[in-house]
Amino acid sequence: MSRLLYDGQPIEFADGDTVALAAIRNGQHPARGGTLCLAGDCGNCIATVDGTSWIRTCQTPARPGAIVGRHPDGTNPSMLGPDTMTAIEVRRHALDVVVVGGGSSGTAAAAEQRAAGHHVTVFDAGEGNEVVGTFAGPSLIVRTATGIDHVHAHHIVLATGQAELHPVCAGNMLRGIFTARAAAAVANAGIDLGVTVTVGADVLRFVGDGNVTAVVLQGGTRHECDAVIVDAGGAPRDLLARMAPNVPITIVGTAAAAHDLPPAPTAGVVCPCSKVSVEDLEGVWDKGFQELELVKRASLCGTGTCQGSVCGPHLQAWVGSRKGERPLPFTGRPAARQLTMGEAAAGYHIDTFRRTPLHEEHIALGAQLDKFGGWFRPWTYGDPVAEYWAVREGVSIGDVSTLGKMMVSGPDVVEALERIYPNHVHDIKVGRSRYVINLSERGHVLDDGMILREDDTRFVLSFTSGGASTAEMWVRDWIETWGLKVHILDRTVSHGAINVTGPLAGKLLQRLGVAEDAIPKFLQHRHLDVAGVPCHVMRLSFTGESSFELHHQIDRSRELWQALMHEGRSMGIRPHGLQALFGLRLEKGHVIVGQDTEMDSTPRRINMDWAVKLDKPRFIGRDALIRTASLPDERRLFGFTMDGPAPLEGSVIRVNGEVTGHVSSSWDSPMFGHAVLLGWQKHLPHADLVDIDGREARVSPTPFYDREGARARM
Amino acid sequence: MLACEPLIGWRIIADPSALDTAAWPAGSTVVRISPDDVYVIGVAEPTVSDPHAIVTPEHGFNGATLTAAQVADIAMRHIEWQLPSSRPALAQGQIAGVPSKLVLHADGSALLLVATAAHHELVARIGALA
Repeated sequence: MSRLLYDGQPIEFADGDTVALAAIRNGQHPARGGTLCLAGDCGNCIATVDGTSWIRTCQTPARPGAIVGRHPDGTNPSMLGPDTMTAIEVRRHALDVVVVGGGSSGTAAAAEQRAAGHHVTVFDAGEGNEVVGTFAGPSLIVRTATGIDHVHAHHIVLATGQAELHPVCAGNMLRGIFTARAAAAVANAGIDLGVTVTVGADVLRFVGDGNVTAVVLQGGTRHECDAVIVDAGGAPRDLLARMAPNVPITIVGTAAAAHDLPPAPTAGVVCPCSKVSVEDLEGVWDKGFQELELVKRASLCGTGTCQGSVCGPHLQAWVGSRKGERPLPFTGRPAARQLTMGEAAAGYHIDTFRRTPLHEEHIALGAQLDKFGGWFRPWTYGDPVAEYWAVREGVSIGDVSTLGKMMVSGPDVVEALERIYPNHVHDIKVGRSRYVINLSERGHVLDDGMILREDDTRFVLSFTSGGASTAEMWVRDWIETWGLKVHILDRTVSHGAINVTGPLAGKLLQRLGVAEDAIPKFLQHRHLDVAGVPCHVMRLSFTGESSFELHHQIDRSRELWQALMHEGRSMGIRPHGLQALFGLRLEKGHVIVGQDTEMDSTPRRINMDWAVKLDKPRFIGRDALIRTASLPDERRLFGFTMDGPAPLEGSVIRVNGEVTGHVSSSWDSPMFGHAVLLGWQKHLPHADLVDIDGREARVSPTPFYDREGARARM
Repeated sequence: MLACEPLIGWRIIADPSALDTAAWPAGSTVVRISPDDVYVIGVAEPTVSDPHAIVTPEHGFNGATLTAAQVADIAMRHIEWQLPSSRPALAQGQIAGVPSKLVLHADGSALLLVATAAHHELVARIGALA
């Protein structure tokens, strides 16, 4: 005999015992009570084994040293698994014919299919291959000892047999009640149950206090005993078929046999998993839940770990007795068996978070990285205020590799861009650029970016980091819809970009080999070598200072970054992260699409009518803007100033105590010594003074900083 | 772990007919991503007849050569979709949740392509290969 720990006490077990049999052998119930089937159908033997809860102990071989604990009485166990967990492997297989169930009908079905020339695979829970779900495909999810198999099959044969009916009557949660097959298994294991009585479906009640001591039949006959064996018939194990009603599944053997429902229960626990009694069913019925599916949802009968294997036929009988007709069984849904979180998550991956080519540089500089728009990006390098001042007073570099970058070329490219953008495109000169917004058909702002003209029929487009992932699809869809001849290449992940910004930015470029007269003027762009790295140098400004975006091939990014940092050292260069960048741009009043805009923000609402040229004959969103131009519109984005500290973004804006909007961006400006904000007022009349966090904030024109825009042109 | 190295190449977006008739540099590997999109792995700059073609260096991919057994292993463990049954072929989709391409050769081997920005995720998720 070997030993395992059961509720903290060592118990002995025999070779071949399951954990449940080991408990029974030692006079224990594997859980806390209820009929035992020992066939994996019910949830009455579930316990925590080696740190994992909801384990069917009747299907779990006993192992020396195993630690078994019953679930707490009246509540659920912790969902946390063992301290040490490993990833669950997923394997995918394409198979011909799959037979679920290795009993007599499954063996016969497999032989029949093989004789017909099919390649047959048999999954049998007893052999460690437990099918826990079926899906359209057809697909099977199979739990094994070594992982989860995802099986795509041409045809599925269910030979799962029948589950034995459990008795539902008063006292049916006592210990010492067994189905006939369970009793046989106990006897085969050499376990003596003492005085046993075998009964059918005509049980009136079980008697006992914890353990059963007697059973009373419908006619009043009473039998004193140590254990009761219930042989009340069966019901098909067809849950897997009910999960996928349109999947080509053939059911064979007793799983397909017609069966009678048990008598409608009048007392006792119908659903041992969810502890639903007949009284509970009556309660939800009286509240108006008078269909089987509704009774299930309202009472939770059938939602537990056995998924209706025990209670399903009784619930059908009970509802049928009320309605006068036999209802269909409830819909089956995966999983048919309790899975661990690890098993349920096996093979599932969260979205990929990309790394810019400067990722290692950021880490080396001690950056605090965060996830933005599908990328790891530096939030700060430790001192966002110092990063801010480096931009405002000296020179700084920022990694903007995440910006959307696209090249478009073709004879129809100007026509295509004129239709896509609400601003003029045809008059952008070669070597010049223009800020643009993108609108939806409804005239709502989707994104913003730049257009840069390379030659008569070739442009470079940029998009926000957040909009980059959909930009190509959006541009391509429209151009193909219009039938225009334009080539499109998304270079977002092929090109890196570094923003060199600050009043000394131009000087730094000169130190790195760019001739003074070659440095682009504001909104110009050129192809230049910077520190020997071929770059497309774009002069624009998001920070409000003189700025040069250096777009380049990603395999040169680190070399370029290191050269900038090295040569800029004597100028006090330091890199800036998003935290400083967001504050810098806020002082300039630049919106961040998605943060300062809403799903239905029009250019008018964000004060960007100037970026829309309604005199153009067509562009996406034009019709909607014209339709709505004369309508009153309460919503408007405003700039605000207030004494510090800056309120949280998302803070409520009130006027005379009434909620009128919210703060979309907020920053304690080192330059001004007070907070600057962007926020929405959504009700007329728009107020000049509002209340934010119980403090006064004043509407202020934007930009807050350098209204003339002189610094970006320095 | 999967050895997934940066690749040097060229990207050409052009009229499909120009790509159909192009003569690619000797020794290069040509991946036809779509009718108007070719990725040429190699140093030499390719040329095509379309005057509006976009021909630009492409350094945004990492690649790994896989044996037939490794392809089968990855397909079984990390690909939820059906690989094409014919060879050679190009298969594009998520591998272990990462957008990737498989250039499937006639001999059963393959070239795995993944954006450099995401290759670290793919390598970590695939782990050891058969």
